[in-house]
Amino acid sequence: MEREITYCLTLYSFSREYVFGQYNLEECLAKGREMGYTGVELVASQMVPGYPYPTRQWKQEFKALLKKYNMHPVCYSAYIDMGTHSDRDLNESEIIQSTLNDMLIAKEFGFDLVRTQHAISPVVFEKMLDYCKKIGMKLAIEMHHPHNPEVPIWKEYLEIMDRSGGWLGIVPDFSIFAETPHILHIRQAIDEMGCREDKVKNIIRRHLAGETEESVLSGDYSNAEKNFVREVYEQYAPCKIEWLNTLIKNSFYVHGKFWYLEEGINDICIPYHKLMPRLKELGYRGYVASEYEGHHFNSNEEAAVQLRRFVTMCDRILNYTF
Amino acid sequence: MAAFQAYNKILVCDDDIRNIQVGNSVIGFEFKAQYPSYRGTYVSCIELFEIEIDGETVPEKSIYFQLNGKQFLLSQMKDLYAEYWFIMEKAVLRVMQDGGISVGNHNVTLKIRHRIPYTGYFGQYMVLDGACTKTLRAI
Repeated sequence: MEREITYCLTLYSFSREYVFGQYNLEECLAKGREMGYTGVELVASQMVPGYPYPTRQWKQEFKALLKKYNMHPVCYSAYIDMGTHSDRDLNESEIIQSTLNDMLIAKEFGFDLVRTQHAISPVVFEKMLDYCKKIGMKLAIEMHHPHNPEVPIWKEYLEIMDRSGGWLGIVPDFSIFAETPHILHIRQAIDEMGCREDKVKNIIRRHLAGETEESVLSGDYSNAEKNFVREVYEQYAPCKIEWLNTLIKNSFYVHGKFWYLEEGINDICIPYHKLMPRLKELGYRGYVASEYEGHHFNSNEEAAVQLRRFVTMCDRILNYTF
Repeated sequence: MAAFQAYNKILVCDDDIRNIQVGNSVIGFEFKAQYPSYRGTYVSCIELFEIEIDGETVPEKSIYFQLNGKQFLLSQMKDLYAEYWFIMEKAVLRVMQDGGISVGNHNVTLKIRHRIPYTGYFGQYMVLDGACTKTLRAI
């Protein structure tokens, strides 16, 4: 049987291990392959020495590593570093130059998809279409929290994607579906922000029950707990699964974001048990990245353990036993 | 807790402090630093850099920042939009101080304020303050 959905390792998941010198790039790839991942996403600004102008030798070395571990280059992640200059935002020519540079590096690495960001602007996004066709490179904007399909600019982006002939698309990041705090956020609130455990649980319960932020803020909480209330209302909301219907047509790839998965159960933060079956039903065929982001918290969790749990969880949800 | 704070511990590298000897003179000392995040950045995104040695702030003009085979003053950093600080690259911070630093352990603090250049979701860039203190050995 063929799987409709396969998992892609975004090397970004190994940020902590890589930056703290535990694994080098090759070790990240080897670890991913060992776990059964066959696709790779590369955040160039993170793991490419000499970025944004890596040497020819480094490019060859990277390709040789992909070959050695038999991994497919699925997505090259680029940023729109709008705030690079200290006194102004990037202008249109600069955004085009940096995006084109990323697309050309991606091509040399063997990728056929570049992920960019919303700040590219509708005008530049559409201007890149000609290059996409000439180079043979798809370009997709990541939709990441706090953006979602209801943010006005996305209507324009979706229309541009619709008329691009399949070259311009979207990478939905499942952070847009995050419903309630994950364990690392809860631990941070209690251990580092000084919130009381019973109050944290109480806040989470009230948020899930649909109380307004204003009503919860009027409760008997310390300043730290009120800050936690604000974070919860800013970052989490009931999952609007119908957003997938809007996005699916132009989705080239999906970022399966997660911060902490417990062994044997579904994610409490992002409802993968609803999202994965819906993706399949809607006809999505391709890679879902396992994007572990717990490394942004003070955590000693090993990415490899979390990445394994992601595969196990998604296989269980999708009834993949092969 | 603000984002990326878990990475602050790499800001000051564990490498020894080295005195800079020229002939019979010691003209200063140097230690190493890494950019405290999960990805690299353009040096122009660093808005403030401060060094304290054993609790004493080092005057800005005594500090030279070395990266990518070049050397800059801290006051020049805001203009370095084409100098990329790769996350695994150790920059060298030179402190020009006649006689250098005494051999032995010293408390080194590095403070940084840096703009995250891709974070302007609704118009405001995230600007983070980070700091790292380590006891380093001067040799």
